[in-house]
Amino acid sequence: MNSCRTSLATMSSAIAGSVRRSMTSSTLRAPMVASVRSMATATSEPARPANTPRMKKLKIYRWNPDEPSSKPYMQDFEVDLNECGPMMLDAILKIKNEQDATLTLRRSCREGICGSCAMNINGTNTLACLCRIDPDLTQTTKVYPLPHMFVVKDLVPDLTQFYKQYKSIKPYLQRADYPADGKETLQSIEDRKKLDGLYECILCACCSTSCPSYWWNQSEYLGPAILLQTYRWLADSRDHATEERKLALQNSMSLYRCHTIMNCSRTCPKGLNPGLAIAEIKKSMSL
Amino acid sequence: MSIRVIASPVRASLARPCLGLRAIRASIPTHGALAAPVAVRHLGIPPLIAQPPGGIVGTVNDAVKIPPPDKLHGSYHWTFERLIAIGIIPLTVAPFISDAALAPAVDSVLVTTTLVHCYFGLQSNIIDYIPKREFGKVHDACMWLLLGGTIVTGYGFYKYETNDIGLSGTIAKVWKA
Repeated sequence: MNSCRTSLATMSSAIAGSVRRSMTSSTLRAPMVASVRSMATATSEPARPANTPRMKKLKIYRWNPDEPSSKPYMQDFEVDLNECGPMMLDAILKIKNEQDATLTLRRSCREGICGSCAMNINGTNTLACLCRIDPDLTQTTKVYPLPHMFVVKDLVPDLTQFYKQYKSIKPYLQRADYPADGKETLQSIEDRKKLDGLYECILCACCSTSCPSYWWNQSEYLGPAILLQTYRWLADSRDHATEERKLALQNSMSLYRCHTIMNCSRTCPKGLNPGLAIAEIKKSMSL
Repeated sequence: MSIRVIASPVRASLARPCLGLRAIRASIPTHGALAAPVAVRHLGIPPLIAQPPGGIVGTVNDAVKIPPPDKLHGSYHWTFERLIAIGIIPLTVAPFISDAALAPAVDSVLVTTTLVHCYFGLQSNIIDYIPKREFGKVHDACMWLLLGGTIVTGYGFYKYETNDIGLSGTIAKVWKA
């Protein structure tokens, strides 16, 4: 019964989708078209024969806090890739729009700049908006929330501790004095280059939650994301609090629980290298 | 505040099959909202010291408390650990090229550095898996046990080096056998 309903829904949306596509292609060169916004599920690929749906199977982690005694479970969904955008976020939002509105997740920018949609897709922490749907229809894609985090609901992890840790490193410019002329604090081009690969971090928590050390000692170890941010301020030529920042790491837990497992650098959806940043901190603190 | 009120039964009753560790699921109390906040470790051993829900101390707007600085457990420890680890590499080659008469001396340096290296490695294991925050005195006991074990092993090697053929001698003998 339920599957019948969903297939009807996908069919009707298939018709709507093809109509929408033909309309956009005919009006594509019109000057007014810049203001026409298509839905995220619309695809600009050349249209395949609409009568052969490409159904992709997804298994999504579900848990509802309103029923705290019932166990979490994996729910099966099917999405027609012909009617879906190329990214995992498109597929999940399509499910939320058309099949199950109770599916809960965080998302905002849909272009890898906000870090909201961090989740574990096929065993890898990544941003759903930057992760392509695996086109192999024989494979089921599994979606979980970030590993070893407490879950608020479905794909929403509790990042309270993560943000509390971020606050503890004082992530802002600390200076004893500012330029007397009242203008901005200047920095050479070389010094600015030292911040490349650090300032791009969006704090999506993919790296921290992929780190076994962070899994075991989350309440004391800061984790790769926060340590990369610490290094971002240590490496900043305009910052004067270098010694205090380093002193805050002088204990066995905050920094030195890093055992260079390097899951952080492998998983970073922005292609950054938190492992290198941590190594730089350790190096600058030794001898 | 309301988040935390909602979240505490969540944390207490939460079973996470996403790690695939059935032991965790089995060990989590399932009596729902009334369950006391318990943080469950990966081995399924509940901590001896009750932990705040989610390890969160204070309100959501408080920063995590910074531990008092201690360079002996911080940068000095790490630097020494690395120097020992790097030092072992040439020492493993030394017995092959050194004079046979020097064997006890080369051996004793190799054995000492290896023991210290093992001590640091196991110390890290204890800090990781039997953290003081959750296991308190058991953590301390493990540390003393490790220290005692290292000293006993060191004494054993001392006897072996002085009264018998020593480490490199044994390896050479086993190699030929």
